Amino acid sequence: MPFQEKQVEADGFSIRYWEAGQGRPVVMLDRTGYRGTLLHDALADQYRVISMELPGTGDSPANVVSKTVGDLAGTIAKAADAITTERYTLIGTSFGAHVALWQAIQAPDQVEALILVSSTAIHPQEVPAGASCDDVHKLMFAHAENAGKHVPLSDEIFAKESELMSRLTLGVNDSDVEARFGDIHCPTLAVFGQEDSFVSSEAPRVYREKIPNCNIALVYDAGHCIIGDRPEALRNTVLDYAEHWETFIVGHQTGVINP
Amino acid sequence: MKASYFGQMGYSDRSTFPSTWPTPPGYIDSKTSVQSYQDGIEECEFAEEMGFDWISFSEHHYSGRIPTGTPSVMAAAVAERCKKVTIALLGHLLPLNNPVRIAEEVALLDNITNGRVVAGFLRGTPNEDQVYSVNPAEGRGRLLEGMDLILKALTEPQPFSWEGRYYQFRTVAVWPRPVQQPLPPVIVGTRSDDTIRYAAEHRLGLGVSFLPVEQTAVITDKYHAWCEEAGWTPGPDNIVYRGSIYVAETDELAREWFEGLQKAKPGPNIPLRRTVSEAIQSARAGTDFDLRGLVAGSPEGDVVGNSLGINFLGGPDTVAKQIKEFHDRCGVGVIDLPFQQNMVDHRGVIKELEVFGKNVIPQIREF
Repeated sequence: MPFQEKQVEADGFSIRYWEAGQGRPVVMLDRTGYRGTLLHDALADQYRVISMELPGTGDSPANVVSKTVGDLAGTIAKAADAITTERYTLIGTSFGAHVALWQAIQAPDQVEALILVSSTAIHPQEVPAGASCDDVHKLMFAHAENAGKHVPLSDEIFAKESELMSRLTLGVNDSDVEARFGDIHCPTLAVFGQEDSFVSSEAPRVYREKIPNCNIALVYDAGHCIIGDRPEALRNTVLDYAEHWETFIVGHQTGVINP
Repeated sequence: MKASYFGQMGYSDRSTFPSTWPTPPGYIDSKTSVQSYQDGIEECEFAEEMGFDWISFSEHHYSGRIPTGTPSVMAAAVAERCKKVTIALLGHLLPLNNPVRIAEEVALLDNITNGRVVAGFLRGTPNEDQVYSVNPAEGRGRLLEGMDLILKALTEPQPFSWEGRYYQFRTVAVWPRPVQQPLPPVIVGTRSDDTIRYAAEHRLGLGVSFLPVEQTAVITDKYHAWCEEAGWTPGPDNIVYRGSIYVAETDELAREWFEGLQKAKPGPNIPLRRTVSEAIQSARAGTDFDLRGLVAGSPEGDVVGNSLGINFLGGPDTVAKQIKEFHDRCGVGVIDLPFQQNMVDHRGVIKELEVFGKNVIPQIREF
């Protein structure tokens, strides 16, 4: 299903988003805007998917306005509200998951369910000092051959995004958002790759402990970019959760052999 | 150095069985079977009395030689009779099993023994792939993923979902937690580089079986080097060697037994039809297999496989020297010994345990 590029205004930003599909809305906050993955396409088969480009990422101009991740989340909430008046499932990936957490806290009436993929909000791992765009790209994957199958960011976009993220997050644990985890009451799934180099392996259990209705899913043999290492596993997990929320733990596939 | 008694629990009349794998269950006589397990448990008790430090159990299927398909059941029974020794599961055949179930068994055993368990994981011999219809080509992948999942299941305090390549569980929350924290000692039984490296990188122990000392040293040298790369030095309990043994009061008596064994011409260790054996090996290696080329038969006969040699043979001083070689050249700190050889009955095992306990264990303690 082809995604169509559109635009929405919020807090003085002109925000690009890509839309496809019909049904209950799903808002996606990727680290660097829409990139047309298996997950986007699979979701668009069942839902109205709205994939938003965070101001200051992707091809958008540098963002020097947002002062905190919470500010950015407020902007995205306003933009989403302008696109749909229905409650939506919010899916954030990497830095996008950090924004999504603040959005779920600040706009609980909008967010019906929350799916965090490789969230860097808490327990981030330090990126080696002086790491280039290529170095960071390779670190995203559990397997070097998978890094080769995906185009890295341009140096210009990498520099712009790095500046934004380090200014907003300071590269440290966001203890403010962690202190508010108890305020997130919607069904929440936190998905992590077992070999994520950007997030400590301690992080998943904190989400489970502090967010009242949170499941954690660990994807074996996947790094930070789960969609690059184990695309089908991520697709199946996210689709199952988007449909069943916390009841996704209940088996619904038949075990009958040769019926 | 420590000594471990391998609780094989062999069926006492096993030498009369036909030379095939699997051995048809129709050959089992219940009375003999019950007595064989009782004898095996008595051997474990006596080994503890004689100063053995560990008693080990292995998962093997469909034959009377080591009829412990569910080693945790056997370990639990022996743990209730032997209250001091370490109970070592050496080990579970991970590609065959549900890893979460194995984590639960290890954790439960660690609790009922109050922290005396050592866990061991391995791929197993090719015939074992057939037991639960596992594709031999997937064995390596299942082993590596299974180990990751078990380690996570035993250490993770919060429930989690596991989205694996071979295993998918939407809720994992193992009860009870192991007594030994963060994890009971784990031994990876292997000869393969990728799993040796896995053990080194995850700070796990290494188990090697039945190879001569030179070949064992090649494996343990790699392990030591990769442990160093990973920033740690394995201790004596981290390297376990399993080797078959016959010990007598003198070298001469041991030689006499061995000559008798050679005259008896025991069958292959794991006898398989040639077609099945080669099909498994081809599947494991991912190579083509031509059944029709083999059906015509071969001069070696239909059943193939190697006879298992004896790694340690002699009187107490000779055996102690042979064991010392593994300690000195390979860094082996635990020697795991199966005493139930062909032509050695229950009384013979008890006698050997006494000789070993009184005359060999005091020597290897000094290594």
